[in-house]
Amino acid sequence: MPNWQQVVRKKFGVLGICSPEFAEELAAHLEDRYEALRCEGLSAEVAFQHTMGQIEGRRRVWLVIRFLQEELMSGFITKIALPGLLTYAAACVFYRALALNCIQPRVIWLLGGQLPLWWWCLLPICGTLGAVLSQRKGRSRRQRMAAVLFPSAILGTSVLMIFVVGFTISGFVNHYQLVFARLESLGIEPPGFGLIPAAFSLLGAGIAEIGTKKSRLA
Amino acid sequence: MASVNAQIKRGSAELAVLTLLAEHPLHGYEIAKQIEEQTGGVLRFDMASLYPMLHRLERKSWVNAQWQILPNGRRRRCYQLTASGRKQIAPLRAQWRAFFRALQSVTGFQNA
Repeated sequence: MPNWQQVVRKKFGVLGICSPEFAEELAAHLEDRYEALRCEGLSAEVAFQHTMGQIEGRRRVWLVIRFLQEELMSGFITKIALPGLLTYAAACVFYRALALNCIQPRVIWLLGGQLPLWWWCLLPICGTLGAVLSQRKGRSRRQRMAAVLFPSAILGTSVLMIFVVGFTISGFVNHYQLVFARLESLGIEPPGFGLIPAAFSLLGAGIAEIGTKKSRLA
Repeated sequence: MASVNAQIKRGSAELAVLTLLAEHPLHGYEIAKQIEEQTGGVLRFDMASLYPMLHRLERKSWVNAQWQILPNGRRRRCYQLTASGRKQIAPLRAQWRAFFRALQSVTGFQNA
């Protein structure tokens, strides 16, 4: 009898969709299928090939997609979009409040000020607070990650679109300047905008994480 | 036997599973097998359709799952209908009945 748990772990373990419990459940299904085929008179080798067909090729891909889809899309608005966007909005308001009080965040230029890629890198952190808070309601790590990435995905796409439009309009020479002009016209000032929201989110995430640990200890 | 469009199959899957579980608790393989047998192979759920759906029903608290040791000594995750799940069967049946009635009035299709 093949070791189905090992087979499942080998097929899905790397992809990270398989909790030990889910792996055992899939393995049990394969084991039952294999035995049924054997009872129908198939040889061990043929029965094994038939059973493996359930988790190979497009069926394997489909299983992974369906599982992720179910997990991420269940309550997408409340579990992912809202925590991510609300946290980001709160961080932006906080930054604006600081700017109004003339407390300008320090500017760090990592790429000579031409491409604020580091700012994009900071954006995912802005969703952390909502994501960590969502953990307390039993949400999975993948859902927290999606919540973290959601606002940056939207903003990243927007900025990318501005880049593409700017590039199309102005060509190779001055599209960076055009992009910056567009960003500023939208009220987005890349260098400072990223740092304060990120710090704010991290602080919130830290508080939420400590709260979670304390409640677990209690 | 004609195969059924994936969209229709997906929509009907919850009703089929809940109805089966209303009779007695079953584990995943048994659910798939019984649905296939009872529908003469028209409805066939592979692992990619079955387990994400069972886990979704579990999240909705329509079913609960528990590991049980079967008489042959094997551990299986058995799904059992909850009170909340039982309440869903009648509205789902009503929806499907309304759907078939509507389809019938348009296509002139009659039940066998």
